[in-house]
Amino acid sequence: MRHIPDGVLRRLDDEPLAVPDKVIDHVSACERCGARRAEIARDTELAARLLSAPQLVHDTDIAWARLRRELHRRPDEEPGRRRRPTSVGRRGTRLPRVSLRTGMVIAALGIVLAGSAVAASLTTVFAPTHVAPLSLSQSDLQSITAFMGLGDRRPLGGFATPSGSTTFRFGTITWSSGPAHPAPSRAAAAAEAGFPVSLPARLPAGVGAVRQFIVQPRANATVKFNSTAASLGGSSVTLDAGPAVVAEYSGATSGTDVPTLGVATMRRPTALSSGASLSQIEAFLLGQPGIPAQLVEEVRLLGDLRTTLPVPVPPGASVHSVQVAGWPGVVLADSSNAAAAVVWEDGRGMLHVVAGLLDTRDVLNVADQLG
Amino acid sequence: MGLQARRDERWDRPEGGSRLPEFEVFFRAHYRAVARLAHNVLGDFQAAQDVAQEVFLAAYRRFPGDYEQAAGWVRVAAVHSALNVLRGDRRRDKRQLLVQMVGSPPSVEDTVIEREARAELRRVLARLPRRSAAVLVMRHGGMSYVEIAEALGVKAGHVGTLLRRAESALRKEIDRETHS
Repeated sequence: MRHIPDGVLRRLDDEPLAVPDKVIDHVSACERCGARRAEIARDTELAARLLSAPQLVHDTDIAWARLRRELHRRPDEEPGRRRRPTSVGRRGTRLPRVSLRTGMVIAALGIVLAGSAVAASLTTVFAPTHVAPLSLSQSDLQSITAFMGLGDRRPLGGFATPSGSTTFRFGTITWSSGPAHPAPSRAAAAAEAGFPVSLPARLPAGVGAVRQFIVQPRANATVKFNSTAASLGGSSVTLDAGPAVVAEYSGATSGTDVPTLGVATMRRPTALSSGASLSQIEAFLLGQPGIPAQLVEEVRLLGDLRTTLPVPVPPGASVHSVQVAGWPGVVLADSSNAAAAVVWEDGRGMLHVVAGLLDTRDVLNVADQLG
Repeated sequence: MGLQARRDERWDRPEGGSRLPEFEVFFRAHYRAVARLAHNVLGDFQAAQDVAQEVFLAAYRRFPGDYEQAAGWVRVAAVHSALNVLRGDRRRDKRQLLVQMVGSPPSVEDTVIEREARAELRRVLARLPRRSAAVLVMRHGGMSYVEIAEALGVKAGHVGTLLRRAESALRKEIDRETHS
Protein backbone atom coordinates (compact mmCIF):
# COMPACT_ATOMS: atom_id res chain seq x y z
CA MET A 1 0.00 0.00 0.00
CA ARG A 2 1.19 3.52 -0.76
CA HIS A 3 2.08 5.81 2.11
CA ILE A 4 -0.80 7.76 3.60
CA PRO A 5 -1.27 11.40 2.48
CA ASP A 6 -0.79 14.11 5.12
CA GLY A 7 -4.42 15.18 4.95
CA VAL A 8 -5.63 11.71 5.87
CA LEU A 9 -3.09 11.45 8.69
CA ARG A 10 -4.37 14.75 9.98
CA ARG A 11 -7.96 13.61 9.92
CA LEU A 12 -7.00 10.42 11.68
CA ASP A 13 -6.45 12.43 14.86
CA ASP A 14 -9.73 14.32 14.63
CA GLU A 15 -12.17 11.90 13.08
CA PRO A 16 -10.71 8.37 13.13
CA LEU A 17 -14.08 6.82 12.28
CA ALA A 18 -13.99 8.65 8.95
CA VAL A 19 -10.72 6.94 8.01
CA PRO A 20 -10.78 3.38 6.53
CA ASP A 21 -9.42 0.56 8.72
CA LYS A 22 -6.75 -0.34 6.18
CA VAL A 23 -5.29 3.15 6.55
CA ILE A 24 -5.15 2.78 10.33
CA ASP A 25 -3.51 -0.63 9.95
CA HIS A 26 -0.93 0.82 7.58
CA VAL A 27 -0.06 3.71 9.87
CA SER A 28 0.36 1.30 12.78
CA ALA A 29 2.82 -0.79 10.80
CA CYS A 30 4.64 1.87 8.76
CA GLU A 31 7.50 3.62 10.48
CA ARG A 32 7.59 6.45 7.96
CA CYS A 33 3.87 7.21 8.19
CA GLY A 34 4.01 6.89 11.98
CA ALA A 35 6.80 9.46 12.14
CA ARG A 36 4.89 11.84 9.85
CA ARG A 37 1.79 11.40 11.95
CA ALA A 38 3.76 12.34 15.07
CA GLU A 39 5.10 15.45 13.34
CA ILE A 40 1.61 16.41 12.22
CA ALA A 41 0.32 15.86 15.75
CA ARG A 42 2.94 18.28 17.10
CA ASP A 43 1.80 20.99 14.71
CA THR A 44 -1.82 20.26 15.60
CA GLU A 45 -1.04 20.54 19.28
CA LEU A 46 0.67 23.88 18.74
CA ALA A 47 -2.28 25.22 16.75
CA ALA A 48 -4.76 23.93 19.32
CA ARG A 49 -2.84 25.54 22.13
CA LEU A 50 -2.70 28.89 20.38
CA LEU A 51 -6.24 28.88 19.07
CA SER A 52 -8.11 27.35 21.97
CA ALA A 53 -7.55 30.02 24.59
CA PRO A 54 -9.99 30.09 27.50
CA GLN A 55 -12.63 32.73 27.06
CA LEU A 56 -15.24 34.54 29.05
CA VAL A 57 -18.75 33.53 28.22
CA HIS A 58 -20.50 35.87 25.81
CA ASP A 59 -23.87 36.91 27.19
CA THR A 60 -26.59 36.03 24.72
CA ASP A 61 -29.28 38.13 26.42
CA ILE A 62 -27.24 41.29 26.22
CA ALA A 63 -26.19 40.57 22.66
CA TRP A 64 -29.75 39.91 21.57
CA ALA A 65 -30.96 43.10 23.19
CA ARG A 66 -28.30 45.02 21.33
CA LEU A 67 -29.12 43.41 18.01
CA ARG A 68 -32.81 44.02 18.49
CA ARG A 69 -32.10 47.66 19.20
CA GLU A 70 -30.15 47.92 15.97
CA LEU A 71 -33.04 46.39 14.05
CA HIS A 72 -35.42 48.87 15.65
CA ARG A 73 -33.15 51.77 14.91
CA ARG A 74 -32.43 51.23 11.23
CA PRO A 75 -34.64 48.45 9.90
CA ASP A 76 -34.04 49.28 6.24
CA GLU A 77 -30.34 49.93 6.26
CA GLU A 78 -28.18 47.56 4.27
CA PRO A 79 -25.60 45.73 6.37
CA GLY A 80 -22.75 46.94 4.17
CA ARG A 81 -23.54 50.55 4.94
CA ARG A 82 -24.30 49.94 8.56
CA ARG A 83 -22.45 51.88 11.13
CA ARG A 84 -20.53 49.76 13.56
CA PRO A 85 -22.93 49.05 16.42
CA THR A 86 -22.30 50.95 19.59
CA SER A 87 -21.13 48.71 22.33
CA VAL A 88 -21.60 49.25 26.01
CA GLY A 89 -17.90 49.73 26.40
CA ARG A 90 -17.64 52.45 23.79
CA ARG A 91 -20.27 54.92 24.79
CA GLY A 92 -17.86 57.36 26.31
CA THR A 93 -14.33 57.99 27.25
CA ARG A 94 -12.15 55.76 29.35
CA LEU A 95 -12.57 55.55 33.08
CA PRO A 96 -10.90 58.26 35.05
CA ARG A 97 -7.99 57.11 37.18
CA VAL A 98 -9.03 57.03 40.79
CA SER A 99 -7.55 55.47 43.87
CA LEU A 100 -8.67 52.00 44.78
CA ARG A 101 -10.43 53.17 47.90
CA THR A 102 -12.26 55.87 45.99
CA GLY A 103 -13.09 53.31 43.35
CA MET A 104 -14.45 50.88 45.89
CA VAL A 105 -16.50 53.55 47.56
CA ILE A 106 -17.85 54.72 44.22
CA ALA A 107 -18.63 51.13 43.28
CA ALA A 108 -20.35 50.42 46.56
CA LEU A 109 -22.29 53.66 46.42
CA GLY A 110 -23.14 53.03 42.82
CA ILE A 111 -24.52 49.63 43.59
CA VAL A 112 -26.45 50.82 46.58
CA LEU A 113 -27.76 53.87 44.78
CA ALA A 114 -28.64 51.99 41.65
CA GLY A 115 -30.43 49.51 43.83
CA SER A 116 -31.98 52.39 45.66
CA ALA A 117 -33.02 54.24 42.54
CA VAL A 118 -34.55 51.22 40.94
CA ALA A 119 -35.88 49.69 44.09
CA ALA A 120 -37.29 52.93 45.35
CA SER A 121 -38.75 53.70 41.99
CA LEU A 122 -39.87 50.47 40.54
CA THR A 123 -40.60 47.84 43.10
CA THR A 124 -42.88 47.14 45.94
CA VAL A 125 -40.63 44.49 47.43
CA PHE A 126 -37.03 44.41 46.26
CA ALA A 127 -34.90 41.38 47.13
CA PRO A 128 -32.41 40.82 44.36
CA THR A 129 -31.13 37.33 43.70
CA HIS A 130 -28.68 38.21 40.95
CA VAL A 131 -26.84 41.12 39.37
CA ALA A 132 -27.12 42.54 35.85
CA PRO A 133 -25.30 45.39 34.10
CA LEU A 134 -27.02 48.72 33.54
CA SER A 135 -25.22 51.02 31.14
CA LEU A 136 -25.20 54.64 32.26
CA SER A 137 -23.85 57.59 30.31
CA GLN A 138 -23.02 60.95 31.80
CA SER A 139 -26.08 62.40 30.09
CA ASP A 140 -28.22 59.64 31.60
CA LEU A 141 -27.08 60.68 35.07
CA GLN A 142 -27.66 64.33 34.32
CA SER A 143 -31.11 63.58 32.96
CA ILE A 144 -32.08 61.60 36.04
CA THR A 145 -30.77 64.31 38.35
CA ALA A 146 -32.73 66.92 36.43
CA PHE A 147 -35.82 64.73 36.30
CA MET A 148 -35.72 64.09 40.02
CA GLY A 149 -35.38 67.81 40.62
CA LEU A 150 -32.25 67.29 42.69
CA GLY A 151 -30.19 69.90 40.87
CA ASP A 152 -26.76 70.32 42.41
CA ARG A 153 -27.91 69.54 45.90
CA ARG A 154 -27.84 65.78 45.70
CA PRO A 155 -26.24 64.45 42.57
CA LEU A 156 -26.44 60.69 42.20
CA GLY A 157 -23.10 60.25 43.84
CA GLY A 158 -24.17 59.57 47.37
CA PHE A 159 -25.45 61.35 50.41
CA ALA A 160 -23.23 64.06 51.83
CA THR A 161 -23.99 63.38 55.47
CA PRO A 162 -24.57 60.19 57.50
CA SER A 163 -28.20 61.14 58.00
CA GLY A 164 -30.62 63.78 56.81
CA SER A 165 -33.41 64.46 54.38
CA THR A 166 -34.01 66.39 51.21
CA THR A 167 -36.86 67.13 48.89
CA PHE A 168 -37.10 66.22 45.26
CA ARG A 169 -39.70 66.80 42.60
CA PHE A 170 -42.10 64.14 43.80
CA GLY A 171 -41.56 64.08 47.56
CA THR A 172 -38.84 63.66 50.17
CA ILE A 173 -35.90 61.35 50.74
CA THR A 174 -34.78 60.59 54.29
CA TRP A 175 -31.68 58.55 55.02
CA SER A 176 -29.55 57.43 57.93
CA SER A 177 -26.31 55.52 58.28
CA GLY A 178 -23.21 55.38 60.45
CA PRO A 179 -19.90 56.48 58.95
CA ALA A 180 -17.52 53.95 57.46
CA HIS A 181 -14.62 53.18 59.82
CA PRO A 182 -11.65 50.83 60.06
CA ALA A 183 -11.84 47.60 62.09
CA PRO A 184 -8.80 46.27 63.96
CA SER A 185 -9.01 42.77 62.45
CA ARG A 186 -10.93 40.53 60.15
CA ALA A 187 -12.65 38.88 63.12
CA ALA A 188 -13.68 42.26 64.50
CA ALA A 189 -15.02 43.36 61.12
CA ALA A 190 -16.97 40.13 60.76
CA ALA A 191 -18.35 40.39 64.29
CA GLU A 192 -19.52 43.95 63.71
CA ALA A 193 -21.05 43.19 60.31
CA GLY A 194 -22.67 39.98 61.48
CA PHE A 195 -21.46 37.76 58.67
CA PRO A 196 -18.22 35.88 57.89
CA VAL A 197 -15.66 37.69 55.75
CA SER A 198 -14.08 35.40 53.16
CA LEU A 199 -10.69 36.29 51.71
CA PRO A 200 -8.73 34.67 48.88
CA ALA A 201 -6.02 32.16 49.79
CA ARG A 202 -3.98 32.89 46.67
CA LEU A 203 -3.32 36.43 45.54
CA PRO A 204 -2.30 37.73 42.12
CA ALA A 205 1.30 38.82 41.65
CA GLY A 206 1.85 42.37 42.83
CA VAL A 207 -0.75 42.18 45.61
CA GLY A 208 0.53 42.28 49.19
CA ALA A 209 -1.17 41.69 52.52
CA VAL A 210 -4.44 43.14 53.82
CA ARG A 211 -3.63 46.58 55.12
CA GLN A 212 -6.98 47.36 56.70
CA PHE A 213 -10.59 46.30 57.07
CA ILE A 214 -13.28 48.95 56.66
CA VAL A 215 -16.82 48.49 57.96
CA GLN A 216 -19.75 50.40 56.50
CA PRO A 217 -22.69 50.13 58.93
CA ARG A 218 -26.18 49.38 57.77
CA ALA A 219 -27.93 52.25 55.96
CA ASN A 220 -31.51 52.93 55.03
CA ALA A 221 -33.31 55.50 52.95
CA THR A 222 -37.02 56.22 52.65
CA VAL A 223 -38.63 57.87 49.67
CA LYS A 224 -42.05 59.38 50.39
CA PHE A 225 -44.05 60.50 47.37
CA ASN A 226 -46.24 63.60 47.59
CA SER A 227 -49.32 64.56 45.62
CA THR A 228 -47.30 65.73 42.60
CA ALA A 229 -46.56 62.09 41.94
CA ALA A 230 -50.20 61.57 40.95
CA SER A 231 -51.36 58.09 41.91
CA LEU A 232 -48.21 57.48 43.95
CA GLY A 233 -49.02 60.31 46.34
CA GLY A 234 -48.83 59.19 49.96
CA SER A 235 -46.96 55.98 49.26
CA SER A 236 -43.41 55.33 50.42
CA VAL A 237 -40.52 53.01 49.70
CA THR A 238 -37.81 52.12 52.22
CA LEU A 239 -34.45 50.78 51.13
CA ASP A 240 -32.24 48.85 53.52
CA ALA A 241 -28.58 48.28 52.55
CA GLY A 242 -25.52 46.90 54.27
CA PRO A 243 -23.65 46.42 56.45
CA ALA A 244 -20.57 45.98 54.30
CA VAL A 245 -16.94 45.04 54.93
CA VAL A 246 -14.10 46.03 52.61
CA ALA A 247 -10.69 44.34 52.89
CA GLU A 248 -8.09 46.61 51.37
CA TYR A 249 -4.79 45.10 50.15
CA SER A 250 -1.49 46.90 49.82
CA GLY A 251 0.99 46.44 47.00
CA ALA A 252 3.53 43.60 47.19
CA THR A 253 6.50 45.95 46.97
CA SER A 254 7.56 47.40 50.27
CA GLY A 255 7.39 51.14 50.48
CA THR A 256 4.48 51.47 48.08
CA ASP A 257 1.32 52.84 49.57
CA VAL A 258 -0.96 52.19 46.64
CA PRO A 259 -3.75 49.71 47.38
CA THR A 260 -3.97 47.12 44.65
CA LEU A 261 -7.00 45.06 45.55
CA GLY A 262 -10.23 45.44 47.48
CA VAL A 263 -12.64 42.68 48.47
CA ALA A 264 -16.06 43.87 49.59
CA THR A 265 -18.83 41.78 51.12
CA MET A 266 -22.28 43.09 51.99
CA ARG A 267 -25.80 41.95 52.55
CA ARG A 268 -27.99 42.43 49.54
CA PRO A 269 -30.12 45.58 49.63
CA THR A 270 -33.84 45.12 50.10
CA ALA A 271 -36.81 47.48 49.80
CA LEU A 272 -40.36 47.56 51.07
CA SER A 273 -43.09 49.69 49.60
CA SER A 274 -46.45 50.76 50.90
CA GLY A 275 -49.37 52.24 49.10
CA ALA A 276 -48.41 51.72 45.48
CA SER A 277 -48.18 48.67 43.32
CA LEU A 278 -45.21 47.75 41.18
CA SER A 279 -47.05 48.47 37.97
CA GLN A 280 -48.17 51.90 39.23
CA ILE A 281 -44.65 52.99 40.18
CA GLU A 282 -43.10 51.60 37.05
CA ALA A 283 -45.67 53.13 34.72
CA PHE A 284 -45.36 56.51 36.42
CA LEU A 285 -41.58 56.79 36.41
CA LEU A 286 -40.78 55.25 33.05
CA GLY A 287 -43.50 57.31 31.45
CA GLN A 288 -42.09 60.63 32.59
CA PRO A 289 -40.70 63.00 29.97
CA GLY A 290 -37.00 63.60 30.41
CA ILE A 291 -36.00 60.03 31.16
CA PRO A 292 -33.71 59.00 28.29
CA ALA A 293 -35.38 56.45 26.04
CA GLN A 294 -32.26 54.35 25.95
CA LEU A 295 -32.13 54.20 29.73
CA VAL A 296 -35.78 53.15 29.86
CA GLU A 297 -34.93 50.45 27.38
CA GLU A 298 -31.95 49.31 29.42
CA VAL A 299 -34.02 49.21 32.61
CA ARG A 300 -36.71 47.16 30.90
CA LEU A 301 -34.10 44.75 29.64
CA LEU A 302 -33.08 44.02 33.19
CA GLY A 303 -36.13 41.80 33.47
CA ASP A 304 -37.80 41.28 36.81
CA LEU A 305 -36.66 44.24 38.86
CA ARG A 306 -37.77 42.68 42.11
CA THR A 307 -34.99 40.13 41.82
CA THR A 308 -32.37 41.95 39.73
CA LEU A 309 -29.74 44.24 41.17
CA PRO A 310 -28.48 46.60 38.47
CA VAL A 311 -24.74 47.19 38.41
CA PRO A 312 -24.11 50.60 36.88
CA VAL A 313 -21.60 50.51 34.04
CA PRO A 314 -19.70 53.81 33.85
CA PRO A 315 -19.04 55.38 30.47
CA GLY A 316 -15.97 53.90 28.84
CA ALA A 317 -15.98 50.68 30.83
CA SER A 318 -16.38 47.33 29.16
CA VAL A 319 -18.79 44.83 30.67
CA HIS A 320 -18.95 41.04 30.50
CA SER A 321 -21.29 38.56 32.11
CA VAL A 322 -19.62 35.68 33.91
CA GLN A 323 -20.32 32.87 36.33
CA VAL A 324 -18.58 33.04 39.68
CA ALA A 325 -18.76 29.65 41.37
CA GLY A 326 -22.01 29.07 39.56
CA TRP A 327 -23.57 32.45 40.38
CA PRO A 328 -24.19 35.08 37.69
CA GLY A 329 -21.84 38.02 37.92
CA VAL A 330 -20.79 41.10 36.02
CA VAL A 331 -17.20 42.01 35.17
CA LEU A 332 -16.28 45.62 34.53
CA ALA A 333 -12.93 46.74 33.15
CA ASP A 334 -11.47 49.99 32.01
CA SER A 335 -10.53 50.28 28.37
CA SER A 336 -6.92 49.23 28.93
CA ASN A 337 -7.88 46.33 31.24
CA ALA A 338 -5.52 47.79 33.84
CA ALA A 339 -8.32 48.03 36.41
CA ALA A 340 -11.21 45.64 36.74
CA ALA A 341 -14.01 44.65 39.08
CA VAL A 342 -16.38 41.72 39.37
CA VAL A 343 -19.72 41.88 41.18
CA TRP A 344 -21.95 38.93 42.03
CA GLU A 345 -24.51 37.73 44.52
CA ASP A 346 -24.16 34.29 46.00
CA GLY A 347 -26.97 31.95 46.96
CA ARG A 348 -26.88 33.12 50.58
CA GLY A 349 -27.99 36.65 49.75
CA MET A 350 -24.52 38.15 50.07
CA LEU A 351 -23.22 40.61 47.53
CA HIS A 352 -19.52 40.49 46.66
CA VAL A 353 -17.26 42.97 44.88
CA VAL A 354 -13.64 42.26 43.95
CA ALA A 355 -11.92 45.26 42.41
CA GLY A 356 -8.35 46.23 41.82
CA LEU A 357 -5.60 47.56 39.65
CA LEU A 358 -5.51 44.16 38.02
CA ASP A 359 -6.68 42.70 34.78
CA THR A 360 -9.95 40.84 34.34
CA ARG A 361 -8.37 37.42 34.70
CA ASP A 362 -6.79 38.29 38.03
CA VAL A 363 -9.98 39.64 39.61
CA LEU A 364 -11.87 36.57 38.39
CA ASN A 365 -9.24 34.30 39.90
CA VAL A 366 -9.71 36.05 43.24
CA ALA A 367 -13.51 35.95 42.89
CA ASP A 368 -13.54 32.23 42.18
CA GLN A 369 -11.84 31.59 45.51
CA LEU A 370 -14.61 33.41 47.36
CA GLY A 371 -17.58 31.98 45.38
CA MET B 1 -37.03 33.09 31.44
CA GLY B 2 -38.36 36.23 33.05
CA LEU B 3 -36.28 38.58 31.02
CA GLN B 4 -37.55 37.20 27.77
CA ALA B 5 -41.18 37.12 28.74
CA ARG B 6 -41.01 40.65 30.05
CA ARG B 7 -39.36 42.00 26.96
CA ASP B 8 -41.84 40.44 24.56
CA GLU B 9 -44.78 41.87 26.44
CA ARG B 10 -43.57 45.41 26.20
CA TRP B 11 -41.59 45.96 23.12
CA ASP B 12 -43.00 46.93 19.79
CA ARG B 13 -41.66 44.89 16.99
CA PRO B 14 -39.50 46.45 14.31
CA GLU B 15 -40.45 46.27 10.69
CA GLY B 16 -40.56 42.72 9.53
CA GLY B 17 -41.20 41.79 13.13
CA SER B 18 -43.27 38.75 12.24
CA ARG B 19 -40.10 36.74 11.71
CA LEU B 20 -38.28 38.21 14.67
CA PRO B 21 -39.26 35.49 17.19
CA GLU B 22 -37.98 32.83 14.82
CA PHE B 23 -34.78 34.78 14.27
CA GLU B 24 -34.32 35.14 18.01
CA VAL B 25 -34.44 31.37 18.40
CA PHE B 26 -31.80 31.07 15.71
CA PHE B 27 -29.71 33.83 17.28
CA ARG B 28 -29.78 32.27 20.73
CA ALA B 29 -28.83 28.87 19.33
CA HIS B 30 -25.78 30.14 17.46
CA TYR B 31 -24.61 33.42 18.98
CA ARG B 32 -22.03 32.00 21.37
CA ALA B 33 -20.45 29.79 18.71
CA VAL B 34 -20.21 32.73 16.34
CA ALA B 35 -18.79 35.07 18.98
CA ARG B 36 -16.29 32.42 20.00
CA LEU B 37 -15.03 32.02 16.44
CA ALA B 38 -14.57 35.77 16.12
CA HIS B 39 -12.87 35.81 19.50
CA ASN B 40 -10.46 33.10 18.39
CA VAL B 41 -9.34 35.34 15.55
CA LEU B 42 -9.32 38.68 17.33
CA GLY B 43 -8.51 37.79 20.91
CA ASP B 44 -10.64 40.72 21.99
CA PHE B 45 -13.98 40.25 23.71
CA GLN B 46 -15.57 43.51 22.61
CA ALA B 47 -14.35 43.31 19.03
CA ALA B 48 -15.66 39.75 18.80
CA GLN B 49 -19.08 40.91 19.99
CA ASP B 50 -19.09 43.64 17.35
CA VAL B 51 -18.26 41.16 14.61
CA ALA B 52 -20.97 38.77 15.81
CA GLN B 53 -23.49 41.61 15.78
CA GLU B 54 -22.63 42.52 12.20
CA VAL B 55 -22.86 38.91 11.11
CA PHE B 56 -26.30 38.39 12.61
CA LEU B 57 -27.57 41.67 11.22
CA ALA B 58 -26.46 40.52 7.79
CA ALA B 59 -28.00 37.09 8.34
CA TYR B 60 -31.33 38.67 9.30
CA ARG B 61 -31.54 40.28 5.88
CA ARG B 62 -29.95 37.52 3.88
CA PHE B 63 -32.11 34.65 5.12
CA PRO B 64 -35.70 35.87 5.35
CA GLY B 65 -37.31 33.11 7.35
CA ASP B 66 -35.10 30.18 6.40
CA TYR B 67 -32.51 29.92 9.12
CA GLU B 68 -31.64 26.25 8.61
CA GLN B 69 -29.10 27.21 6.00
CA ALA B 70 -27.86 30.16 7.99
CA ALA B 71 -26.11 28.21 10.76
CA GLY B 72 -23.03 27.45 8.66
CA TRP B 73 -23.14 30.80 6.96
CA VAL B 74 -22.92 32.84 10.17
CA ARG B 75 -19.90 30.84 11.31
CA VAL B 76 -18.05 31.34 8.06
CA ALA B 77 -19.05 34.99 7.96
CA ALA B 78 -17.76 35.46 11.49
CA VAL B 79 -14.38 34.02 10.62
CA HIS B 80 -14.02 36.08 7.45
CA SER B 81 -15.29 39.26 9.08
CA ALA B 82 -12.90 38.82 11.97
CA LEU B 83 -10.01 38.20 9.59
CA ASN B 84 -11.02 41.35 7.72
CA VAL B 85 -10.87 43.31 10.97
CA LEU B 86 -7.50 41.77 11.78
CA ARG B 87 -6.03 42.56 8.38
CA GLY B 88 -7.66 45.97 8.21
CA ASP B 89 -6.21 46.89 11.55
CA ARG B 90 -2.85 45.60 10.44
CA ARG B 91 -2.90 47.71 7.32
CA ARG B 92 -4.06 50.79 9.16
CA ASP B 93 -1.66 50.74 11.98
CA LYS B 94 0.45 47.73 12.75
CA ARG B 95 1.65 49.20 15.97
CA GLN B 96 -1.82 50.02 17.16
CA LEU B 97 -2.83 46.43 16.49
CA LEU B 98 -0.10 45.18 18.74
CA VAL B 99 -1.19 47.45 21.52
CA GLN B 100 -4.80 46.47 21.05
CA MET B 101 -4.10 42.77 21.04
CA VAL B 102 -1.59 42.74 23.83
CA GLY B 103 -3.77 44.92 26.02
CA SER B 104 -2.71 46.39 29.30
CA PRO B 105 0.70 46.00 30.90
CA PRO B 106 0.74 42.44 32.25
CA SER B 107 0.59 41.80 35.94
CA VAL B 108 1.70 38.18 36.13
CA GLU B 109 4.58 36.46 34.39
CA ASP B 110 2.61 33.64 32.87
CA THR B 111 0.04 36.13 31.69
CA VAL B 112 2.80 38.03 29.96
CA ILE B 113 3.90 34.93 28.12
CA GLU B 114 0.36 34.01 27.21
CA ARG B 115 -0.48 37.46 25.95
CA GLU B 116 2.65 37.64 23.89
CA ALA B 117 1.82 34.28 22.38
CA ARG B 118 -1.66 35.47 21.48
CA ALA B 119 -0.41 38.71 20.01
CA GLU B 120 2.01 36.64 17.98
CA LEU B 121 -0.84 34.44 16.82
CA ARG B 122 -2.85 37.45 15.59
CA ARG B 123 0.12 38.67 13.61
CA VAL B 124 0.63 35.27 12.06
CA LEU B 125 -3.06 34.82 11.26
CA ALA B 126 -3.01 38.15 9.49
CA ARG B 127 -0.07 36.96 7.33
CA LEU B 128 -1.32 33.48 6.45
CA PRO B 129 -3.31 32.91 3.25
CA ARG B 130 -6.94 33.66 4.01
CA ARG B 131 -8.15 30.12 3.42
CA SER B 132 -5.46 28.71 5.70
CA ALA B 133 -6.32 31.16 8.47
CA ALA B 134 -10.02 30.43 8.05
CA VAL B 135 -9.65 26.65 8.18
CA LEU B 136 -7.49 26.91 11.30
CA VAL B 137 -10.00 29.06 13.13
CA MET B 138 -12.95 26.97 12.02
CA ARG B 139 -11.45 23.64 13.03
CA HIS B 140 -10.05 24.82 16.33
CA GLY B 141 -13.29 26.71 16.94
CA GLY B 142 -15.14 23.39 16.96
CA MET B 143 -16.46 23.01 13.40
CA SER B 144 -16.45 19.49 11.94
CA TYR B 145 -14.76 18.50 8.68
CA VAL B 146 -18.15 18.33 6.97
CA GLU B 147 -19.11 21.81 8.19
CA ILE B 148 -15.78 23.23 7.07
CA ALA B 149 -16.11 21.51 3.70
CA GLU B 150 -19.54 23.08 3.19
CA ALA B 151 -18.24 26.44 4.28
CA LEU B 152 -15.28 26.39 1.93
CA GLY B 153 -17.00 24.61 -0.93
CA VAL B 154 -14.62 21.64 -0.98
CA LYS B 155 -14.98 17.92 -0.34
CA ALA B 156 -14.73 16.76 3.26
CA GLY B 157 -11.78 14.57 2.31
CA HIS B 158 -9.86 17.66 1.24
CA VAL B 159 -10.27 19.44 4.59
CA GLY B 160 -7.57 17.34 6.23
CA THR B 161 -5.11 18.42 3.54
CA LEU B 162 -6.02 22.08 3.93
CA LEU B 163 -5.80 21.81 7.69
CA ARG B 164 -2.45 20.05 7.58
CA ARG B 165 -1.02 22.73 5.29
CA ALA B 166 -2.44 25.47 7.45
CA GLU B 167 -1.03 24.04 10.67
CA SER B 168 2.33 23.51 9.07
CA ALA B 169 2.33 27.08 7.78
CA LEU B 170 1.29 28.31 11.21
CA ARG B 171 4.17 26.52 12.87
CA LYS B 172 6.68 27.87 10.33
CA GLU B 173 5.41 31.40 10.79
CA ILE B 174 5.55 31.06 14.56
CA ASP B 175 9.13 29.78 14.28
CA ARG B 176 9.97 32.73 12.06
CA GLU B 177 8.47 35.16 14.56
CA THR B 178 10.39 33.52 17.37
CA HIS B 179 13.72 33.75 15.58
CA SER B 180 13.27 37.17 14.01
